[in-house]
Amino acid sequence: MISLQVRQTLVSLKGAQGTLRLYAAQSKHTEAVSVFKEAIETTGVIIKDLEDRLKLLEFQEPQYKGN
Amino acid sequence: MKEWLIILFRSIGLFFGVLISIRLMGKKQIARMTPFHFVSYGVIAVLAALISTNLIKNLGFGLLALSVWVLLPIILDYVSMKSKWLHDVLNGKETLLVKNGKIMEENLKQLRITGEELMRELRSKNAFLMSDVEFAMMENTGEVNVLLKSERRPITPHDLGKKVSPQMAPQTVIMDGNILDEPLGNLGLNRGWLMEQLEVMGVSKDNVFIGQVDAYGDLYVDLFDDSLQQPQVQVKELLYATLQKCQADLVSYGMETEDNKAKKMYESNGERLNELLQKLEPFLLK
Repeated sequence: MISLQVRQTLVSLKGAQGTLRLYAAQSKHTEAVSVFKEAIETTGVIIKDLEDRLKLLEFQEPQYKGN
Repeated sequence: MKEWLIILFRSIGLFFGVLISIRLMGKKQIARMTPFHFVSYGVIAVLAALISTNLIKNLGFGLLALSVWVLLPIILDYVSMKSKWLHDVLNGKETLLVKNGKIMEENLKQLRITGEELMRELRSKNAFLMSDVEFAMMENTGEVNVLLKSERRPITPHDLGKKVSPQMAPQTVIMDGNILDEPLGNLGLNRGWLMEQLEVMGVSKDNVFIGQVDAYGDLYVDLFDDSLQQPQVQVKELLYATLQKCQADLVSYGMETEDNKAKKMYESNGERLNELLQKLEPFLLK
């Protein structure tokens, strides 16, 4: 059951990262761009950790495995 | 030639001549002018009027005098850019009226300003109480500028130690339903991007009176049709909310899990996201 929730968080985090990418590309202010880039990096690290955890969880509860 | 024809041609010629010379003399506003500039503008106006109405019969002499009064201020302006001394001689220096909250009576006398006049000037700058004033200066244009005591100054984000999102000049990309290509190009965007944004908002370009793009690349539109409720896109607020939700999720997973390694991973990532949210706050929330 937990794997479904983690998957949901992972998806919304990925969506947020996409929006951050958009702002990093669109913004004209250098300070804003650097903060957005940092945010992309940080979310990237978290996304990777969550993906690893998700693999483990799906191995433990295969009935909830997504595609 | 008939006199009225002479007056007609002189007037038309002078009209454009004076127009160009005044543009050449700079952008200084009448109210912000030093007395010296005021005099030179006045002389130019009088000379132009006299030549134009044929009161100065000799056109050459009139134009000679006019060109001296146009050119000398321009030359002196250039020279006083180089020399501080000449600048002070020509334009005068600013004078301290109030220093450390004390009125400088000597300087007031020198400028021939009465206490009543000083109070009026201070009041016009919203300083009704003498005790609120730290510094007051009379500029060489005669304008009085006031620095209020620090506890009387309006509060700024800096005083609160709060970081706010940096603002940059927005670019107006749609005016009166027409797309302006130059500002759009300055932002590194194109018409395709703009049409896409308008489509997302569900408005047609012809219905937009003013469309502005801010420093973050977000489009704001004002429509001709004011009865149309136009929800402004709040992508930034949504993004912040999403990240906040993810942060809360991570914390709750960390509490639920019994796996120690996973608990640590959730907690450290929740912490990371929390720090990130604090950094992003001034940029995403206004």
